[in-house]
Amino acid sequence: MKVALFLPCYIDQFYPQVGIATLQLLAKLGVRADFPQQQTCCGQPMANSGCETDAIPVYRHFVDTFRDYDYVVAPAGSCVYHVRKHFDIIEQTPQVQHVRTSTRELFDFIINVLGVTEIPGSFPHKVGLHLSCHGQRGLHQANESEMTPVRDGQLRRLLSSVQGLELTELDRNDECCGFGGTFCVSEAGISARMGQDRVQDHVRNGTRVLTGGDMSCLMHLEGIVRRQQLPVKVLHAVEILNGAVV
Amino acid sequence: MSHSQKSDLFLLDQERTTWHDETLWFVRQKRDKAVYAVPEFQELRQLASDIKDHTLSRLHFYLQQFEENARRNGVHVHWAADADEHNRIVLDIIRSQGATRVVKSKSMLTEECHLNPHLIQHGVEVIDTDLGERIIQLRDEAPSHVVLPAIHLKKEDVGETFWQHLGTEKGLTDPQQLTEAARQHLREKFLAGEVAISGVNFAVAETGSVVVCTNEGNADLGVNLARVHIACMGMEKLIPRLSDLGVFTRLLTRSATGQPVTTYTSHFTRPAEGKEMHVVIVDNGRTKQLGRPDFRASLKCIRCGACMNTCPVYRRSGGHSYDFTIPGPIGAILSPNIDMKRHASLPFASTLCGSCTDVCPVKIDIHTQLYKWRQVLGQAGELPASKKWSMKLLSRVLARPGIFGAGGKMARHGLRFLPHGLTHAPGYNPWAIARELPAPPKQSFREWHAQTVK
Amino acid sequence: MTSREKILAAVRANQPYETPLPDVPDFGGDSSLDRFTAVLQGIGGQVVEVADAARLDEVVRHLYPTARTVAAEVISATVAVTPETPIETLAAVDLAVLRGEFGVAENGAVWLPGANMLHRALPVVSQHLALVLRRADIVATMHQAYARLGSVDSYGIFLAGPSKTADIEQSLVIGAHGARSLTVFLV
Repeated sequence: MKVALFLPCYIDQFYPQVGIATLQLLAKLGVRADFPQQQTCCGQPMANSGCETDAIPVYRHFVDTFRDYDYVVAPAGSCVYHVRKHFDIIEQTPQVQHVRTSTRELFDFIINVLGVTEIPGSFPHKVGLHLSCHGQRGLHQANESEMTPVRDGQLRRLLSSVQGLELTELDRNDECCGFGGTFCVSEAGISARMGQDRVQDHVRNGTRVLTGGDMSCLMHLEGIVRRQQLPVKVLHAVEILNGAVV
Repeated sequence: MSHSQKSDLFLLDQERTTWHDETLWFVRQKRDKAVYAVPEFQELRQLASDIKDHTLSRLHFYLQQFEENARRNGVHVHWAADADEHNRIVLDIIRSQGATRVVKSKSMLTEECHLNPHLIQHGVEVIDTDLGERIIQLRDEAPSHVVLPAIHLKKEDVGETFWQHLGTEKGLTDPQQLTEAARQHLREKFLAGEVAISGVNFAVAETGSVVVCTNEGNADLGVNLARVHIACMGMEKLIPRLSDLGVFTRLLTRSATGQPVTTYTSHFTRPAEGKEMHVVIVDNGRTKQLGRPDFRASLKCIRCGACMNTCPVYRRSGGHSYDFTIPGPIGAILSPNIDMKRHASLPFASTLCGSCTDVCPVKIDIHTQLYKWRQVLGQAGELPASKKWSMKLLSRVLARPGIFGAGGKMARHGLRFLPHGLTHAPGYNPWAIARELPAPPKQSFREWHAQTVK
Repeated sequence: MTSREKILAAVRANQPYETPLPDVPDFGGDSSLDRFTAVLQGIGGQVVEVADAARLDEVVRHLYPTARTVAAEVISATVAVTPETPIETLAAVDLAVLRGEFGVAENGAVWLPGANMLHRALPVVSQHLALVLRRADIVATMHQAYARLGSVDSYGIFLAGPSKTADIEQSLVIGAHGARSLTVFLV
């Protein structure tokens, strides 16, 4: 199985430890992932800003970079969702179709491709899970409160399997954090307020480690946590899972 | 003013924003409870969506079938191409009766057409009788929500308004007593009303009936005491069969407020003996929207307001921040069809979280349409210039890995070595008004990878 | 071209290819009196079981001791109401007692056709409203309700509980413009 790692630009530049943990966790699960150095971005920032046509060269570059892999794995649900849903405006060559269907969110890949549902290890902390909307509602990786009262999902299951890890029960299980890509600057006021409310829900319910599957949400929430100097550590879930495995 | 500018004003009052958010979230929770209790709810959504899709695909047929049946029932049917014609028709009917006193129950369509100012300008007294609508009418404001028109107001505001206009005691804030005052005040208006105007929730093609849903009973009270009933409807209100109401009445109020049904689900088919009933069918941009394949599904909307209650942006910015008759996510996909330039910021007033799509009882792909409107606006040159050029530049960088690597490194090092006061200056960096930028590491992942992994 | 012709032409030009109209299944459901009663009470209505239908008059009077002006079809009235009754007379009615056709268990609604209203405004203009319903006449859901109706005649209401509003801060207030209370008498 030929697997490539795709890292969104902000993880590459600001959160290299997330990329490293992804490679290491995959290795522990028996997968050696390549990192094609010519990779750039999925094009979402442009497309979400209304400049989808400007993103076409970026889409093509993405496909060219990853066309020869069986799977493209990314620790970023939002980018994966973009590739799978919105790469429909370029010609649907076999390569494009292949890349769209084989691009998988990391935890979806671990559970549904590798068939791993439990992570042996320990992380004795109170962890608050932030669900990314694109992972949850876009890729259907978790139940939605709009449909059912049952709180369940891929990441929740993986985290629950770690010894000593206690998940926080939030008042609003799946409210958006307000990052929203360029929304975070074009609607900076609302974006910040949404993030503050999200963080408060965690603080109120005892979260000490705030985690999730999408670093973009977490970058925004971490920015608020640090500005308000709150006693909450923000980690991508892959850092927790990789660190937990001995 | 753009949506974000109006939102910033709303956000200034932090406590009120919290209250607004929590009040609407409470409505969303009531909706959830009602939805979870119906095992076939998701099937009903699909049925409703399919029925509406079908109706739109044969709209010319159902419009005529409705008209024919309504006429056979003794109902006068009028057609209005736009808001002006709608207002003219309504005024003509009122004048033909020699009437000057009109009572009106809730109708977003008449808000859309700005009927009230038109009637008032021509010497007609028009009284909104839905409590929320009456409150905002007295305050000369627009509704901020399609189901809860006065949700932006607190009881103190209502007390103040009623003290000024209805002569209630100053400082009265008890909702029970305020509602009683409105009941007394409006009862006089109902008893004196000559013409009653109502909206339409559903128009049944096979029977020629219009169905109006209220909790207060104001539509029935107004219509049945007046000599003439004028029902104003957007042409998308049609459904083919009486039995389709089974689907829609089960969805509408559960989605809107979490009630199992509205108190009054009233079916108007024939006028009472000696009275008159008129239906005005309005286009006002709807046929244009019907011709936009990516956006026509917005015409399936049954105005339940669920997308507003669930929208994390709406809850924190208030309905008036949208500056359009229908606020919230659905308003953001309807408004650019009416005036693209004026409402250009609305499709961007969303994180595309998708919750609106998931609560929509007729399964309108609202967040996908928001995304698509952004592209239409981009193509039409309606984006702010700074956004347009920065995205073009970004595209060049992202299609070229070499420049991309160098650019990322520059940004990261800039953050490392420039003073905090500069990188976080609110004037230049809206991110930093409420957030810290990420702490930049020494090495990027790709640098680490090139060095470490063979 | 008239607006009618213009609109219909634009609709014809812009509407998409025809998609199928689905059949709506029945979905079954609980049509028990208990369910109907619990839901109606949950939305502010009152349910009174009348063991002996012959004593309905007495039971109603007992429950509304202060109602002086009573308009009714099913019990003895103090005021006669017809479609020609003037508004001032209608406005003075304290209590209307009318015959409901059937109830809907899932939402506590009762079908009240225009023919049972004496005057179309009576159920909403009266200060209080009582509906008399046969306890066997309960259906489970709105699907079955519309199936049972077949046609809606000239005017009719599915009436679920007393008039209410929550337009001031989402605080529920019973008695907005219509009847301040609703009682269903089961016979």
